[in-house]
Amino acid sequence: MNCQELQDYYELFALGAAEEPERTEIRAHLNRNCEVCVPGVQRVLETAAMLGATAPDAVPSRKLRERILASVGVEPRRFSWSPVWAVVAAASLALLLYVGNRQQREKNELYRERAQLLQSLRSANIETARLNEAFAIVNGAETKEASFGGARPTPPRGKVFLNPAQGVLLMAFNLPQTPVGKLYEMWVVPKTGKPVAAGMFQSQPDGSAMHVRPGQVDIQSTGAVAVTVEDQVGADQPTTQPLIVAALDSAPR
Amino acid sequence: MLLPLLLALRAIPGDPDLVERLRKRDPQALAELYDRYGRQAYALILRVVRDAAIAEDLVQETFLRVWNRVHGLDAERGSIGAWLMTIARNRAIDYLRSAAGRERNSLDVEETNHPSLFCDMEQGILASDKTRRVKAAMEKLSTNQRTAMELAYFEGLSQSEMAERMGQPLGTVKTWVRTALKSLRDELGVAVAP
Repeated sequence: MNCQELQDYYELFALGAAEEPERTEIRAHLNRNCEVCVPGVQRVLETAAMLGATAPDAVPSRKLRERILASVGVEPRRFSWSPVWAVVAAASLALLLYVGNRQQREKNELYRERAQLLQSLRSANIETARLNEAFAIVNGAETKEASFGGARPTPPRGKVFLNPAQGVLLMAFNLPQTPVGKLYEMWVVPKTGKPVAAGMFQSQPDGSAMHVRPGQVDIQSTGAVAVTVEDQVGADQPTTQPLIVAALDSAPR
Repeated sequence: MLLPLLLALRAIPGDPDLVERLRKRDPQALAELYDRYGRQAYALILRVVRDAAIAEDLVQETFLRVWNRVHGLDAERGSIGAWLMTIARNRAIDYLRSAAGRERNSLDVEETNHPSLFCDMEQGILASDKTRRVKAAMEKLSTNQRTAMELAYFEGLSQSEMAERMGQPLGTVKTWVRTALKSLRDELGVAVAP
C-alpha cells in the first residue's frame, strides 16, 4: 500500500487498534523511515497523547512520588531551608533527623520491596497466562511439532509446536544475545508465499526463550517456522538470515 | 503571599534540559519529570484500570520505563511528555488486556512506545488550553462516535471488539471510528500530511 492509502489508518495504528494488512504496512513504512508516514504517525501520536490528558482529573497519593524516587535510589527531601536556617535546624534536629532518616530508609526499603513484589506478582500472572497458552498448544490433539538445531551443539536448538486452533509455540535454547536495539522475530513460513510475522521476543540471560503466538494457524499450508533478528519495532518481512528454521514436513507428531 | 508568584516566575527548564539530565541519570530530573507529568499520567491510567492501587503501580512502572529507556529519546527534538503519556496508556491497556485474559500481542501497543517516534512535536501539548480543545472536540462527537473513541483509547479494543461490545455490525463501528477521527482531525487542525 502507498502512503496515501495508509494515511486514514495512522490513528488506529497509534491506538494499537489497526488491523491487517494496514498495521503491517505502516510498520514497514516506519521501518524504512518513510518521509511521509513517519511524520504522519508522529502527528497522530501527538494527538493521542492529548487524548490522554482528557481523562478526568485524579490525584495520586503523596507517597507515590517517594516510591518512584526510592525505586531509583533517591532519599526523599521534604524541606528546603535557607542555609542559615538549615544550619540552625540541622543543629537542633540532628538527633531527630538521625532517627527519622533511619526510619525513612527502612520505609523506602519497604516501598522498594513492595514495588518489586507487586511487579513480580504481575509478571507471574502474565507468565501464567503465557504458560497456559503454551500448555494448550503442546497438549492439543492436533498439535504438530518440529525440532531444529538438534544435530549441532552450539547453534540454537529446540522445538516448535503448532496447533490449528491454539497457535504456535517456540521453545529455544543456546540463543545468542541480540545486539542493542534488536529483538528476535518469529515467522510462520507458508509452503508458498511470504513469511508472516508472528511476534517479537527476547531470550533469557541463559540463552533460552519461550514464545507463543496465540490464534489460529493453518498447519497444512505451513512449511516452516523461522526466527530472525530484527529492529525492536519489528519488520514486515525478514531482513536478516534466519537463525532458526524448523521445517514441518518431516515431523508428524 | 508573594511565594506563589515567585514560584510561578521561577525559571522552569524546558524538556530538552530535562531529557538531557535524565539521560545523565540525574535522579532529581526524575523528580521534576514526576512533578510535571505524574498527575496526568495517574489520571489517564486510573481512567483505564479504575483501581487506584493498580494505577499507582502502573505509574511507577511508567516512570521507571522512561528512566531506563530515555537514552533512545532525542534530547533536542524529543517530546518526553507525549512519550510518557503513550507509555502510561500502553502500560494500562496491557494490564487491562492481561487481566481480562484477552492478551493480544503486546507489540500491538508497544510498537508505538518507541522513543524515536516522539520527535518534533509541538511544545506543551499537555498544557491545559490544548487539552481543553481536545475535550471540546470530543464533546462535539455523537454519542456513538465518542463511545467508540473511548473504547479504543481507554480500553484498547480493536474495531471488532468494539462491534461486539456495542452490539453493532463491524461496518457500522468502522464508520463511527472513521468519522470520529476525521472530526477530531478537523477540530484540532491536525491534518494528516498529503
